[in-house]
Amino acid sequence: MIVAEQKPLEEIRRLIAPYEKVLILGCGTCMTVCGAGGEREGSLLHSALRVAQTRGGDEAHNFLEYTVKRQCDFEFLDMLEDRVGEVDAILSLGCGIGVQVIAERFPDIPVLPGVNTSFMGASKELGVWDERCAACGECRLDETGGICPITRCVKGILNGPCAGSKSGKCEVSSDIDCAWVLIYERLERLGQLEKMRRYYPPRNFRTIPRPRRIVSKADIDLGGNDG
Amino acid sequence: MYSAGSDAFKSDHSDGVKKTSFDHTLMPPCQDACPLHMEIREYVDLIAQGRVMEALQVIRDGNPFPSICAHVCTAPCETACRRGQVDNPVAIRALKRFAVEFGGDRMIQLEAETRHEERTAIVGSGPAGLSAAYYLRRLGYPVTIFEAYSEPGGMLRVGIPKYRLPGEILDTEVQRLIQMGVEIRTNTPVVSLDLLFDMGYKAVFVTVGAHQGLRLGIEGEESPGVVDGATFLREVNLGFKPSIGERIAVVGGGNVAIDAARTALRLGAREVRILYRRSREEMPADPAEIEQAIEEGVEILFLATPTKIAGEDRQLGLTCIRMELGEPDASGRRRPTPIQGSEFNMGIDTVITAIGQAPQIPGDFRLRIGRGSTIQVDPITLTTNRVGVFAGGDAITGPASVVQALATGREAASRIDDYLQHRYPLVSKDEKEALAGELLPKTIEMIRKLTRFEPLTVSPEARVKEFELVELVYDWESAINEARRCLRCGMGAEILFQDKCATCLTCLRVCPYHVPYLDDSGTIQIPADQCQACGICVAECPAKAIVLRKPQDRRQIDEELDHVLKSAAQAKSKPLIIGFSCQYGLYGTGALASLWRGAKAGIWIVPVLCVAKIETEHILQAFEMGAEGVFIAGCGQEQCAREDTAFWALQRMEKAKKVLAQIGLEPQRLQAFNLYADGEDPATALDKFTERIGEFYLASAIKQEVKT
Amino acid sequence: MAKSLFEERLNSGKFLVTTEIGPPKGTDISEMVHHIELLKDKVDAINVTDHQSSVMRFPSLGGCLLVREHGGEPVFQMTTRDRNRLALQADLLLAYSRGIRNVLCLTGDSVDVGDHKEAKPVFDLDSVQLLRMIRIMESGKDLAGNDLKGAPEFCIGASVHPATDSIEPQLIKFDKKVEAGAQFFQTQGVYDLDCLRRFMQYASQFNVKILAGIIVLASARMAQYMNDNVPGIVVPQAVIDELAGAEKGKGLQKGIEIAVRLMKMIKDENLCHGVHIMAVGREGIVPDILEAAGLEVSVHV
Repeated sequence: MIVAEQKPLEEIRRLIAPYEKVLILGCGTCMTVCGAGGEREGSLLHSALRVAQTRGGDEAHNFLEYTVKRQCDFEFLDMLEDRVGEVDAILSLGCGIGVQVIAERFPDIPVLPGVNTSFMGASKELGVWDERCAACGECRLDETGGICPITRCVKGILNGPCAGSKSGKCEVSSDIDCAWVLIYERLERLGQLEKMRRYYPPRNFRTIPRPRRIVSKADIDLGGNDG
Repeated sequence: MYSAGSDAFKSDHSDGVKKTSFDHTLMPPCQDACPLHMEIREYVDLIAQGRVMEALQVIRDGNPFPSICAHVCTAPCETACRRGQVDNPVAIRALKRFAVEFGGDRMIQLEAETRHEERTAIVGSGPAGLSAAYYLRRLGYPVTIFEAYSEPGGMLRVGIPKYRLPGEILDTEVQRLIQMGVEIRTNTPVVSLDLLFDMGYKAVFVTVGAHQGLRLGIEGEESPGVVDGATFLREVNLGFKPSIGERIAVVGGGNVAIDAARTALRLGAREVRILYRRSREEMPADPAEIEQAIEEGVEILFLATPTKIAGEDRQLGLTCIRMELGEPDASGRRRPTPIQGSEFNMGIDTVITAIGQAPQIPGDFRLRIGRGSTIQVDPITLTTNRVGVFAGGDAITGPASVVQALATGREAASRIDDYLQHRYPLVSKDEKEALAGELLPKTIEMIRKLTRFEPLTVSPEARVKEFELVELVYDWESAINEARRCLRCGMGAEILFQDKCATCLTCLRVCPYHVPYLDDSGTIQIPADQCQACGICVAECPAKAIVLRKPQDRRQIDEELDHVLKSAAQAKSKPLIIGFSCQYGLYGTGALASLWRGAKAGIWIVPVLCVAKIETEHILQAFEMGAEGVFIAGCGQEQCAREDTAFWALQRMEKAKKVLAQIGLEPQRLQAFNLYADGEDPATALDKFTERIGEFYLASAIKQEVKT
Repeated sequence: MAKSLFEERLNSGKFLVTTEIGPPKGTDISEMVHHIELLKDKVDAINVTDHQSSVMRFPSLGGCLLVREHGGEPVFQMTTRDRNRLALQADLLLAYSRGIRNVLCLTGDSVDVGDHKEAKPVFDLDSVQLLRMIRIMESGKDLAGNDLKGAPEFCIGASVHPATDSIEPQLIKFDKKVEAGAQFFQTQGVYDLDCLRRFMQYASQFNVKILAGIIVLASARMAQYMNDNVPGIVVPQAVIDELAGAEKGKGLQKGIEIAVRLMKMIKDENLCHGVHIMAVGREGIVPDILEAAGLEVSVHV
């Protein structure tokens, strides 16, 4: 899941300050699941902004509230066609992808980001999200027993652990497990320690240069007369 | 695709829900089991909120004589009550009595006007007859009841002892009927139905009950000193004092037997024994009655039955034989068989037989009679073989319960109405789907076990001296606490907007009872038969896809808050403090009263049905509309009838605090009070809070002054 | 033919002594030069640290150039935290051309523990990959396989942490470093000699030289701080207590005493091939330590 955190209220207030009519647009997929920008959060933000108006001395705004199933596909945004003309700005509670797709779809209206898109992660427990994938583009989880060294090791090294590993925890914080100790334990449990003994050459960062594109359709030339 | 509200500014999806009035609740087992299909869940919930008069209104909507049922109903609702799967069923009948007595049932006057010409006759003034009269009168028909005995009421008058149903209660109901315009002619046995038609009645409802005692069929049954149970009770209830001596044997195991035994005690008998041929488990009498009988000193001999009665008047010798239980018979109960050679004798002054009753239908009625001497009727239309003649009550079923009779009476009234208005009698379909399913062990595990508050009774020693009511009515606290044990079957949460659901699993994770689950297709299901209607998932769902099946619960806080904010704005009281206060707990402790008394001007209470339903937006809205402080007052985790509610309410309060802090409003402007907490009296705590809010208000007012 | 003076000394069989210098945060290198002068003839090599603890400082390559200029034998500490493979290879080419022939290959502390916490961490390579890269360059190719116009040659080493509580993963890493070509290892600070002994039992199967790291502590508080905040340092409670027990104002003396005691024991019992003294900002006292430990030597060039 894409995980994000709603921006602090004061930042949002600053972002919307120049605009009188603002559409608060929630997203019904990832942002709902991670609790940053679904319909309820949008509603809550709306209430908070209204309190800010009456009690915090903000300028007057008029808000519209709406939630689409996803902000990252044009078709879902088409239903906003009519409403977009009524507002001066869209405050998107979608992830960074959503904000950009909206901007592309409606180039004449400012789109403001309401959340800070943080990472791709999973939740074992309600309200707690852990980063798990860095989208490196060359998944090597078979080599490390299903534990990603790029995401879970602070330094992202492939021949670990480093010297800072202490009592199974990372040098940066005792809240973070040393990924390489975890990898060692997992591979040992699976009887595959030889995978850790292998030398792993430097990563191919060529998969990362941005912006990336994946094309999954084939290029088919139907030709002229006979095919 | 979501639909926005039609209002352009603040389109709120729940508006779509607000404006419709659909009700997705399922009929709970209690209502389904009740022959009158009373809205038991609704009135129990009203009692739990302390709204007793409204509870009584709901009761009266479904029952013509609540005061009678409150005393003597066999309560099939309690047998079906699913609370019984957790610990004990909710004491519904006792709660009904509480509502009747505290809700002012006695004050209620009834009126009816005549809208039809067709006169209707009812033969028999038992519960079925009285009920039919009530409903026919309300439909606007002239009604005459013909009663053979000197007083109306049927078994209610002559069968049920006064220590269970005082005569005054029955009198009050009869008076009300008379006020409505029903004519009751006592001492008027009907010998021929043709006569009634000749007199101009257009429809007749025969409901003569089942008063004829069944015979034992043993030697010596005709001896003096052997009396039929129903007859015995009738004589006592009509004011006679039959001399029965000191040593009594009652034969039988139903309520008539128990009633006869306990009545005998009250008449001065010293040794009262009941002989029942099966064991205690099979005894059909009400278990509470059996218990009370034993407390009063009745001895019950199980697996024993008389075989011979011999002797002179006052000196009867009863020969009995022991029984053992063999294979089940037609009724499903194990057949008792005599144990050879186990005879024993006892000296008795009076034998009372109470092994069953049957109707006695005069042959001149020319009605087709069936098994057990009952009148044969079409089960749907209640018509007999004679046109215009309907029948109901014990006369068609054999001895049954009061509530069944009331239901038949009601049914008969609408059938007679159909008939008289030449309407096709349509079978009424239940509009609501009934809730089916047992509670799962994992749900039961999380439900807090609460003992059932049994209504108090007069001490056994005091009871047997007279015929005063044995059972006492609940006091406020007991009633409210008992009512809160209700599981609210069938009115829980449902995913109304499946398209909005992102399967984020929040509902599954927050539910204290582990009710929502992922089915095989990866869709979240919230099974209606497990949901305890706490409301937590409704408020937590990030997509607002879940609602409570009952519209009233969905709307409640929004509406109350709107109303309070408008009133407060008009009153212009400053500083304004809004308090979201749980209604369930407030009445139980009387804490609401102390909160109101102590509350200074400027405090407005928004009553909520459990703090679990308070959402962060409600709190923010209060501040937006001018509140300087907001508090939440609830039962606390220990006292709340649902689990985890205080935890989630506090979570939402913390969220509100975080938001407010960013707007420059101090977190101390929000506070939670636990109404049941030891130590501080809520009124005092509220005073302190109010003071602090006052300080904040002054401080910001001064700041404004300084600014300007 | 040894690739460097230090390598010669490594192979000579003598008890090795190295130390390290931390460059200044700024352009004023006077103190660093003073320390270089002080130490250059007293030790077998001088390491120059590379943004130790991720604190921005004068670069280690620059420091190594100064060591060379003043006649000492430098060990170029190279971390992979701040530079990608292009920059790392370039620095190595420069180092070789200026006579810097010893490289200690490290991954480096994470950016979070330093003073520029918002910087972008690079970690294009890790220490093992860096070791191998150097060997590849020595074969006349760069990491991408292109021919080099002039190949470097280095004596390369790495670090190891015998006192870690996760010893198995650490040994796997150690093996990889040996396989990658590491010739010498300077360990993290050692206090428990049994631990060192056990490690040496394992390490002695390899043809590598192990120099035990000796940290000079000045107070119990410093020891506790390093325990809590500096990656790779584990100071046992007994040592902290011993420091705490010192007379007021004599903390450093006690720290020196402890360091000397350790060094003497290592040398006397021949536990490993040498020691690497880390004075952590007090480079000036290193000569005294050497004297007290009986390790004062005059190193001829």
